[in-house]
Amino acid sequence: MMSTVIRPGVFSSYYQVTKHGVKSLVLPGAKELLPAAAPAGTRLAHTDIKIPDFSDYRRPEVLNPQKSSQESSEARRAFSYLVTGVTTVIGVYAAKTVVTQFISSMSASADVLALSKIEIKLGDIPEGKNMTFKWRGKPLFVRHRTEKEIAAEADVNLGELRDPQHDKDRVLNPKWVIVLGVCTHLGCVPIANAGEYGGYYCPCHGSHYDASGRIRKGPAPLNLEVPYYEFPDEETVIVG
Amino acid sequence: MAASVCRVGSTVGRVLAKTRSELQPILLSLRRGQASVSYAQSLAGAPETHVSVLDNGLRIASEDTGHATCTVGVWISAGSRYESEKNNGAGFFLEHMAFKGTKKHPQTALEQQVESMGAHLSAYTSREHTAFYMKTFTKDLPKAVELLSDVVQNCTLNEADIEQQRSVVLREMEEVEGNLQEVCLDLLHATAYQGTPLGQSVLGPSSNARNLTRQDLVDYVSSHYKGPRMVLAAAGGVNHDELVGMAKSHFSGLSFQYEGDAVPVLSPCRFTGSEICMRDDGLPLAHIAIAVEGASVSSPDIVPLMVANAIVGSYDLTYGGGKTQHLSSRLARLAVEDNLCHSFQAFHSAYSDTGLLGIYFVSDKHHIDDMMHWTQNAWMNLCTTVTDSDVVRAQNALKASLIAQLNGTTPICDDIGRQVLNYGRRIPLAEWSARIDAVTPRMVRDICSKYIYDKCPAVAAVGPIEQLPDYNRMRSAMYWLRF
Repeated sequence: MMSTVIRPGVFSSYYQVTKHGVKSLVLPGAKELLPAAAPAGTRLAHTDIKIPDFSDYRRPEVLNPQKSSQESSEARRAFSYLVTGVTTVIGVYAAKTVVTQFISSMSASADVLALSKIEIKLGDIPEGKNMTFKWRGKPLFVRHRTEKEIAAEADVNLGELRDPQHDKDRVLNPKWVIVLGVCTHLGCVPIANAGEYGGYYCPCHGSHYDASGRIRKGPAPLNLEVPYYEFPDEETVIVG
Repeated sequence: MAASVCRVGSTVGRVLAKTRSELQPILLSLRRGQASVSYAQSLAGAPETHVSVLDNGLRIASEDTGHATCTVGVWISAGSRYESEKNNGAGFFLEHMAFKGTKKHPQTALEQQVESMGAHLSAYTSREHTAFYMKTFTKDLPKAVELLSDVVQNCTLNEADIEQQRSVVLREMEEVEGNLQEVCLDLLHATAYQGTPLGQSVLGPSSNARNLTRQDLVDYVSSHYKGPRMVLAAAGGVNHDELVGMAKSHFSGLSFQYEGDAVPVLSPCRFTGSEICMRDDGLPLAHIAIAVEGASVSSPDIVPLMVANAIVGSYDLTYGGGKTQHLSSRLARLAVEDNLCHSFQAFHSAYSDTGLLGIYFVSDKHHIDDMMHWTQNAWMNLCTTVTDSDVVRAQNALKASLIAQLNGTTPICDDIGRQVLNYGRRIPLAEWSARIDAVTPRMVRDICSKYIYDKCPAVAAVGPIEQLPDYNRMRSAMYWLRF
């Protein structure tokens, strides 16, 4: 018996044998490929399917069909993951930016923020004088100190103070003392250039402050509050 | 008091002695059921495969199993991989023409000779190998070798026969369309090895079946049927020296030189992770194969990969037991419990410098997604959580299947032919067994990770495949997010 066996040898662990008894069924001259008797219609030979050439889309390392793709596989993957990773980081950052922009639109507007700062021209204040400004609804004292006052305040023994603070910790520039004009006892406004210590005196309950705004005598517990301020140049100070 | 105890003791002792002597014959008969030779001994005692070489490069390999029948054949390193786009299908066509007669034995004479011996003459063509072999009585071996040598070397390739065979080949291609497993796996090769000769199918396109000429077939024979690329293999009650003598007298004419020194050299074939979907909702079942690039036949990784495939295992509906069957493969157990598929199997097609390591399954259209998920899950488990018991079980299953396959002169002869072509020698079973025993779970994990983990797979799917996941999702399932 002679038979033709097609065994494409795909499975190494078991054999598959398809026998085709073809000799008796052939009509001489039959050349057309007859339609397959599949119920859904005609299916042409799967061996006629041609895989398209994707060279236009391939990376250079895998363009050559005669070169194994294994060697370049790690490099290609690393590149893909790197690009993905970087894009993700950028994307997250972009998303965060957009979200913060939308949320921060609900925060205080510029005109409101502007009220929080006050700009003071220092040239208007003569030496030895104290000027009062309204800032954030509270009185702000700006005092131009004399050399004598500066020296005197610097020499004060911290042991005497109820709220010990050295003068240099309370001022940026010793010539200018900037404090809030609110008595730390019960909130009255002290009077400038009054009291026994050459500073301020609160008339409500008799608190005496010195030229640095520190409490020296009286019921107030703490020194006058020093707000945040900075000197953009010699002639101006911005408080707040 | 003590005396009575002793007496009881002695009666008990006598009873025991009696039972022991009564049991002894039974015990002896139990021992008779055991093999008298151990597994290792039986492997070592397997007949040796002798290999010789003729001057023209033809190798002759045979194993004397002592049977009264034998299988003898010629295995050739030729196949669709050696073909170009223009002559793809020539090897297959040639196989059809082989039994149409030679100068010395025209078709009827050839048939008559074969039939009168009661022999079976067969052939097959694969991507890298072609074989012509005959199964016959041992005493008819000389005649068989003579007929085979004639068929392989002197095929007439009559023009009229060629024309007649065209429609036969076309009809056969049509029939293969009904074998969806072949279609699916051919498509898998076509997409995985796109643009390379390994992507071509053995049958070739229908246009080539219509247009191949006699000259094409003659050229194919003269460029590939060369001595150094052929093996005369035999298994059965075959004496090696006699076989060598027969080969010398019939196969000395085999050429070993190429025209214009144009030796066909196999260049590497690029693997492309890709997908081909042949959707047809009219078919009842979907046939799907997913594969990564695997090891070549000569790679040392081939045995651990075979063990890995044995861990994944196979299953089909004919496995009896219903839902209560204790299947050792995890994937098989899931397939049964959740009705995931009709059948699946892990495969590894190894070629001379590359391979396809994959899983093929057949399922109905509502379970494709789940089956694909668990299939890839099985692969991930191979790369990460293989245990000692998995490996031991797989080793045993693999050893058993390797040995059980060789259950006749034809499988043995085929094994000899292919192994001599692939390795230059026949690897004895004892060596296979030793290599399988050397596999550890660590090796399986490392080697599977090397081939499977985070690699682009090739997927081929035929049938009602709407549920097949998108390629990017299947690609993502080739790794786990683990840190």
